[in-house]
Amino acid sequence: MIFAHVHPGQAAGPGPAGMMNAVVALTAALAYGAAAGRLRRRGDVWSRWRDTSFSAGSGALAWAAVGPLPGGPFTAHMVQHLIVGMAAPLLLVLARPLTLVLRALPPGAARRGLLALAHSGAVGLLLFPPLAALLDAGGLWLLYRTELFAALRHLPWLNALVHAHVLAAGLLFTFAVCQLDPVSRRWGLRVRGATLLATGAAHAVLAKSVYAAGPPGTAFTTADLHTGAQVMYYGGDLVEAALAVVLAGSWYAATGRARTRHRARRPAPEAAVSLPAPAQRRGVRWAQDTGFAGVEPVAHGPDDDASQPAGRGKPSRTSRTPGE
Amino acid sequence: MSTPVHPPAVPDARPEPRRSMVVSGVIGATVMAAVDEIVFHQLLGWHHFYDRSTTGVGLMSDGVLHTAELLGLVAGFFLFADLRRRRAWATAHARAGFFLGLGCFQLFDGIVDHKLLRLHQIRYGVDVTPYDWAWNLGGVVLLLVGVALAVRAARSGRAGTTS
Repeated sequence: MIFAHVHPGQAAGPGPAGMMNAVVALTAALAYGAAAGRLRRRGDVWSRWRDTSFSAGSGALAWAAVGPLPGGPFTAHMVQHLIVGMAAPLLLVLARPLTLVLRALPPGAARRGLLALAHSGAVGLLLFPPLAALLDAGGLWLLYRTELFAALRHLPWLNALVHAHVLAAGLLFTFAVCQLDPVSRRWGLRVRGATLLATGAAHAVLAKSVYAAGPPGTAFTTADLHTGAQVMYYGGDLVEAALAVVLAGSWYAATGRARTRHRARRPAPEAAVSLPAPAQRRGVRWAQDTGFAGVEPVAHGPDDDASQPAGRGKPSRTSRTPGE
Repeated sequence: MSTPVHPPAVPDARPEPRRSMVVSGVIGATVMAAVDEIVFHQLLGWHHFYDRSTTGVGLMSDGVLHTAELLGLVAGFFLFADLRRRRAWATAHARAGFFLGLGCFQLFDGIVDHKLLRLHQIRYGVDVTPYDWAWNLGGVVLLLVGVALAVRAARSGRAGTTS
């Protein structure tokens, strides 16, 4: 097969660009760890799971940039895209990088600027889940159903641009759908769930269409194409299921907290005996606030309780409905 | 902060039979979808990943259905957990809902997917009629079991012993 090495960067091993990407990813992980350490030293609660998640995401990005990838050229490309566009963004977003930066930065121009950016109209628009999904899945349709994929071979800058877009759009989509970090415009579970459903469907359809016919202007072997398409299909399923767990888990935690609050406000006859209502309320508020201590400048939307996903660390577990 | 703020008993606990039935129905349908996928696609290899005879509309509906199954399974389990924590899980109704879900998915798959949309056939290269009959009759049986359980649950619910 003459065109066996269609995807640049695979055949020649990690180039300088790949090495640079890996260094950037690992530097981000170090910066995250330093910021989280700073928070803990001053007594804040910051779950270790978040550190683990961010490190895993950065490590996956670094591996996708320089590591040996399995399979033929198309399969390797697909594994790389799955990591860069779906798995790593999920791991990074779960670590709530924006919350961490806002809490770690000292009060001043930098924090005010970042907050203003996070609350700006443009960012609010970009974080509209269907738009984020369109940017993400639409880019994939362009890549695999037009001549763009074939053109990447000749134009290294375009290849770099496409990879940057895959990462950025993946992060945007995951960030908008999970909605874990404090942003001003918040969307309900229905919008985010429907977006996830539509995007997952588009992803599955695209994977099957790639299985039937490779990107125009390329000639991968059939076996390679089929393996790559199935990696896309089932790998996408895995990440979509994980996203669904994040959504459903935050719903579960939020409704649990809402019930606790509700019952604290209007204690049932038996509950009223044990503690006076104001004391109960204080206790519940304390448990909630431990998860958020230090983000006071950030405006919380009405739906803010949804910002606690499943899989939280031990320290914040106190805010769950106890004893059930 | 390990002391529970509230006593563990839920004072307002009240079973929600309809919701229990719907939630377990969703779980039943998605479980059957998963069984279909795992047994026939992966283990037996009877279905193809994509047989190329599917139309564009069929491919799209397949994508939506596949993703809906995935999300439905996750959502179903979290809704189940929510009912459990509220002590609102009605076991008898839930059991009925589970069978109704299994049967509904199987019939839907057998009639809409296989015959109307012709997404895929159960098996290729053989006469598919007996397979279709077996699949759809299996669905009908599961559905009837679900209906019988639902009737029984409704009766016992009226008698005031809903669990």
